[in-house]
Amino acid sequence: MTTPALLLDAVRRSFGTRPALDGLSLKVDPGEVVAMIGLNGAGKTTALRVLTGRLRPASGTARVLQRDPARLDVATARRVGNVVGAPLVDPALTVAENLRAAALLNGVPRAQVTAAGAAAVGRLDLAAWAGARARDLSAGNAQRLGVACATVHDPAALVLDEPTSALDPRGVVLVRELVRERARAGAAVLVSSHHLDEVARVADRVAVVHAGRVVGELDPRGADIERRFFAMVLAADTPGSGPDAPAGAGGRAPRGRRAA
Amino acid sequence: MTALGAMTALGTALRVEVLAWRRSTVQRVATPLLVLLVPLAAVGLTALARSGAVDGAGAPKLAAYATGDPATTHLGVAGQVLAVAALMAGGFAAAAVFGQPLADGRAGAYFGLATPRGTVALARGLVVLAWTAACVLVAIGLTVALSAAVTAAASGSFGSTAWAAAGRALGAGVLAAGLAVPFAAVATATRSPLATVGALIGVVALTQLVVLVGGGSWFPYAVPSLWTGTGGPAAAAGVGGGALALTAAVAPAGAALVVAQWRRLTDV
Repeated sequence: MTTPALLLDAVRRSFGTRPALDGLSLKVDPGEVVAMIGLNGAGKTTALRVLTGRLRPASGTARVLQRDPARLDVATARRVGNVVGAPLVDPALTVAENLRAAALLNGVPRAQVTAAGAAAVGRLDLAAWAGARARDLSAGNAQRLGVACATVHDPAALVLDEPTSALDPRGVVLVRELVRERARAGAAVLVSSHHLDEVARVADRVAVVHAGRVVGELDPRGADIERRFFAMVLAADTPGSGPDAPAGAGGRAPRGRRAA
Repeated sequence: MTALGAMTALGTALRVEVLAWRRSTVQRVATPLLVLLVPLAAVGLTALARSGAVDGAGAPKLAAYATGDPATTHLGVAGQVLAVAALMAGGFAAAAVFGQPLADGRAGAYFGLATPRGTVALARGLVVLAWTAACVLVAIGLTVALSAAVTAAASGSFGSTAWAAAGRALGAGVLAAGLAVPFAAVATATRSPLATVGALIGVVALTQLVVLVGGGSWFPYAVPSLWTGTGGPAAAAGVGGGALALTAAVAPAGAALVVAQWRRLTDV
């Protein structure tokens, strides 16, 4: 049995009296791309904040490469990349400088920093803006830079929160290819997105998050993912509907549920 | 993490933070202000006090600069200005580099890095401290040069008392730079650069009150100013080695606090 590289198990977290995560469970194995989709406020970003150690869960377990993400040792941290909210980008630095800084902070040996930065520039087609300050980039190019900074060290576990939200179609393809390339290299990738078509193209599995928990999974290869997504959400909102109910709507019970 | 690993991580963080600070707008604006205005103010205020052109409310404040060796007065004024200016500059810098990333969410990107957050915070604090101290050094160097030129033009000399005043100005400026370090902790706690600037202004106002009621010689935030003669020769003489050591201890205490804060940072 494969040990998951990214794991959330029965995680609960509230903001004041409002529950944001209500026993959310999810796992991503090495070499796998899992997409989280859900409506605004479903709990996707909160889940990713817990998974990257930025937020402590009230209960439940978060693990990244078998470690508590809030207390990653250096060796493990070198193998982790993420963009959740604002990326590791200094607006006053140029694209090339940001990539060098990200490589250094992510533990790339100094002798390899220049090569790692150049490779990241190439992967996300940022060469034309290498000398531009990050604050001067368009939203799309800034997002590509954020993804480049998070992947400059070729992480084995990658967490991306809506990495294509500001991208044009070409940028979407670049990020998709990057994600698939990381997965082919054995990395576990968790992506949240609102772009259902894009999710269908990039993910091996699609987890539907609603009301702070995973209510089911969708087959990304099936037809009309949007209809199946809404059917699953509607079923989750229907009193008396259990997590197995959406299966008839083209989905299935979540594999990651109670993953421990 | 081993000691060697910790030093390597600190070296890495320092490289990144030095570059970021060199590129920052705050640094680009504050550096020329600090290093140019101080020598101009020191020589200019001394000349103004000795010109007899000032009367009214300003005259008593400048009276102390109207007599004595001009070069020593230049460096004394520079020290008095730096005792406040270095604190303000360092405090603004701390507000910017610690408060802004927390306010706009960029601090979240420091989670899950091979370079620990506490190390990044330490490097950031050291860069701000080193920058402020370097500005103090350059400002005093320029004041010495300007003062020497002015006194030579007036057939005067730049003597040992002036060099002693320069040394005290340097000490006071560096102490004041260190007093800014705790504002990194304020910025982290409030997650707001504006709140940090508010706290900085509040501490300066509190210092005035403490000095007014006679408690300044042991209050770290008053010590640099009093030591450079802002409260008169008697107040300067009342600042002892213990008070200076206590003032110098504020920077490492503040650094330790902000490193602990960044290590425990959550909900970002």
